[in-house]
Amino acid sequence: METRYLLRKDHLLPLLRRLQKGHRLVAPARNRHGDTFYAEVRDLDRFHLDLDTPPQESAKRFFLPQQEVLFTYRTDGPEGYGFSPVVAPSPPTVYFGLRPCDLTAILYTDLVLLKERRDPGYQRRRQEAVLIALGCSRPRASCFCNATKSGPFLDFGYDLQLTDLGDRFFVEVGRARGRQLVEDWHPFFAEAGEEDVKAQYQVALEAAGSFERSVDLDLAVRALADHGGSDALWAELASRCQGCGGCAFLCPTCTCYTLRDQCLGPSHGERLRCWDACTLAGFTRMAGGHNPADPGRDVLRRRFEHKLRDSVRQHGRPSCVGCGRCVGSCFGGVDMLMAIERLAGEAEPPEEGV
Amino acid sequence: MTERVLTTCVYCGCGCGCYLHVEEGRVVGTSPSRNHPISRHNLCLKGWHLHELIHHPDRLTTPLVREDGRLREATWDEALARAAAGFRECLEHHGGRGLGVLASAKCTNEENYLLQKFARTVLRTNNIDHCARL
Amino acid sequence: MAGLATAFGSGAMTNSINEIEEAELILVAGSNTTEAHPQVGRRILQAVDRGARLIVIDPRLTALAARAHVHLALRPGTDIPLLNGMMRCMLDDNLADDLFIEMRTENFHALRDMLYRLDLDQVAAATGVELQSIRRAARLYAKARKAVLCYCLGVTQHVCGTANVETYANLALLAGKLEKEHTGVDPLRGQNNVQGACDMGALPGVLPGYQSVHDLAARGKFEAAWRTPLPAEPGLSLLDMTHGGPEGPVRGMLVVGENPMLSDPDLARVEETLRSLDCLAVSDIFLTETAALADVVFPAACFAEKTGTFTSSERRVQMVRQAVAPPGECRGDGDLVMALAGRMGVPFADASPAEVMEEIALLTPLYGGIYHDRLEEGWGLQWPCPDRSHPGTPFLHKGAFTRGRGRFVPTVHVPPAEQPDGDFPFTLITGRVYHHYHTGTMTRRCAALDRECREAVLEMNGGDAAALAIRAGERVRLVSRRGSLTLRAAVTGRMGPGQVYTSFHFTEAAVNRLLGAARDPSSHCPEYKVCAVRVEKVA
Repeated sequence: METRYLLRKDHLLPLLRRLQKGHRLVAPARNRHGDTFYAEVRDLDRFHLDLDTPPQESAKRFFLPQQEVLFTYRTDGPEGYGFSPVVAPSPPTVYFGLRPCDLTAILYTDLVLLKERRDPGYQRRRQEAVLIALGCSRPRASCFCNATKSGPFLDFGYDLQLTDLGDRFFVEVGRARGRQLVEDWHPFFAEAGEEDVKAQYQVALEAAGSFERSVDLDLAVRALADHGGSDALWAELASRCQGCGGCAFLCPTCTCYTLRDQCLGPSHGERLRCWDACTLAGFTRMAGGHNPADPGRDVLRRRFEHKLRDSVRQHGRPSCVGCGRCVGSCFGGVDMLMAIERLAGEAEPPEEGV
Repeated sequence: MTERVLTTCVYCGCGCGCYLHVEEGRVVGTSPSRNHPISRHNLCLKGWHLHELIHHPDRLTTPLVREDGRLREATWDEALARAAAGFRECLEHHGGRGLGVLASAKCTNEENYLLQKFARTVLRTNNIDHCARL
Repeated sequence: MAGLATAFGSGAMTNSINEIEEAELILVAGSNTTEAHPQVGRRILQAVDRGARLIVIDPRLTALAARAHVHLALRPGTDIPLLNGMMRCMLDDNLADDLFIEMRTENFHALRDMLYRLDLDQVAAATGVELQSIRRAARLYAKARKAVLCYCLGVTQHVCGTANVETYANLALLAGKLEKEHTGVDPLRGQNNVQGACDMGALPGVLPGYQSVHDLAARGKFEAAWRTPLPAEPGLSLLDMTHGGPEGPVRGMLVVGENPMLSDPDLARVEETLRSLDCLAVSDIFLTETAALADVVFPAACFAEKTGTFTSSERRVQMVRQAVAPPGECRGDGDLVMALAGRMGVPFADASPAEVMEEIALLTPLYGGIYHDRLEEGWGLQWPCPDRSHPGTPFLHKGAFTRGRGRFVPTVHVPPAEQPDGDFPFTLITGRVYHHYHTGTMTRRCAALDRECREAVLEMNGGDAAALAIRAGERVRLVSRRGSLTLRAAVTGRMGPGQVYTSFHFTEAAVNRLLGAARDPSSHCPEYKVCAVRVEKVA
């Protein structure tokens, strides 16, 4: 079994300061308006590190920016057309305090973007990433990562995983980069004792018991795989969708993008890659105007089938990580929890126990 | 290094709080505030794409003045002189009643305040309005 | 605004947007809320999901109307008889709030006498709405403990816009649905800072904070602060300025961030007027249809390039913060005004936006406690905010109306200026769509929005389309007495028979060329919601 360590909270900032010397450091910060985001740390002493509030956005945009220039072009170059690729710098980065759902989302995105045709930008940024998870001792009311098996604590996938034990963090080592990090900075880490292991177990147990919503994801997945949702259900959800795209933009595993060419002058321009959302009519509408997916009927069918059925078939797990960011943010009240509940409700009622 | 700047969306009267993501002098993204009482962690499609208009190549970047029926580029100095001369002439011939200002529901409060002050104290007219009803 | 000011003494949303989700009943009139005010629509849908009742008054089957418990699909321009009918039903059912009327209102007898003379069958005939639905709506509204009434331009953009608003105010007063949290009358403001532009006195009749130019004391205060006498007679409204024609009174104009060449009615007249000016100076971020006619065009900084404040529909004053430097030689409009004032020989003291706000606070009691440093933290302040220690006001008229007592103003039906007839058998309603903002100058340049909605479409009923042998997606010609344009037809269940709808965002289908210049005599709001047209197949 991998050795477990302790990191005293007093030592956290000194450790991060040292990590920052060789790496870009990204950690959850609370800004003066009270919102918490993963943010790049410039000055650690003036950085309001917030390890209590799950950040309101996932780390997606660090790996897949909302808008990214792929290349620029000129039509008046010496040989007519000319293209210059734009490669944004991807420095080695430590992501500190990633929530298990957000870390799981990165692992899932790896399956999508690194398995067959590798996405070069994503690959560059991903290769340089050290992922340090912070287990969730206190899930938010909208969280359901227990149902998606992506939290509140992870069994694998992290480089390091921290558990808050009050005055100290319990540190689990996952992958080689985590082990290297502990070795490089071993004076900061003490070996954990039996009591600490028990304390961590207790925290994880309490966290697992503190979810407010009981979500039957498996039943919904099974229902969708067996017979799909009813037309009435999809029509009802579609009628609520207003096409803001917010669910996809906020979702840590939604990676759909669109390309657009931006003319910047008579003879030059750039190609941009931008986030796209499957709930937009333009996502599927064809050049002649026909839309194979009827927005009034299919717009959310496709989304939830993809998340809960196709992802399972293709990658072995649903592409929902239970982060709850879509919960309550939809203009029409549609979100993953609602879809799961409706789908599970439509499934055959389980045999009644006596 | 990306910086987030909290601002107020310009696309309707709801007044969502949203962040502009700034990278090397360019706004490359927009996202909602979770704790803002109105945006509450989501924006409409217009809001999510707020950044797209800011660096649009169609932006006017120099003053223009009309010469021989066409607009041509000019300096601020020339454009201001031309406008001031035009308004002064109207003022002399027609008084304040001959001048009018359209302020804007898209401008800030401070700008609107200055515009009405300008209309009333410099152009000497209450002919100031904006498209509140349109 | 004029209508609410007459009734309550203040023309703004009486509630905060978030109060809507706690209401037990929501009455939405003339507002396609989910498209034009998405965050308000979100609250309404949330409230309905929690069990609130929803009444929608709109000729179109909007997304909200489709979810409404009662949808009163009135004939366009018949709000007054419909509402009077509702009020009469309330009287008949003994559902008026007598105590509220007694304690808080005036002029009730005039309203009551008018209502008792009303013939309900005529109401049903005039509005095209069944009496049963009117009665049901009246009961739901009157019986709800917490009822919010939201309305938008579908109510105001009529020749009788002010009277319409007064009628909605009468309804709320009669039912006592005011002065409380989660209960009130909420005009939704269309553009991001309409509220602020009005608050700042960018209006012909009032100085900042709605202090009338007639009011000697108020004018004196500003004259002392600005050290110059001020004109005492109210100025011309926007339409008077832009529709004056070659012989009109205004010969020189400064247009800042507005595009009357697309937003105003009877565009041919606007063009004629603007072309005839001796001097037209325009400041904008793009070369708009209006800027293209100017003698001088100033390149403006956009919202991301300047600092200041916007005031939202719920009276919330919030910071707009500079994120990047303006491109090229662009400047904020504040700088433009100060530079221009200097050139005109009346220099303004150079002031930062924060200093301008200090001056506003000094002279405008509504904004008396609003300073940039207070807005830096937190989420803005809702006026009235009279001093620095005041936390702002989430809902208005608590305990008493701004004007003392709420005033009933009996109103009678005013038919639209133009009625459908044999030559022009359809009623054209105009409005907005979700994906675009106002004249489309900004949103049409956004790739994602352009992809979602690239052109204006004419929404029409299936029966009407079939009668004219028009198929969905086909190009049709829309003709009014003032002009014509072609656009694509969309056949939809949203439209009632004899009604067609399109939006005004698109310059190549500038529907305002078709609309007449008829307007409300008091608010000067043009009649954008009713115009007689015919629809022709394009050969």
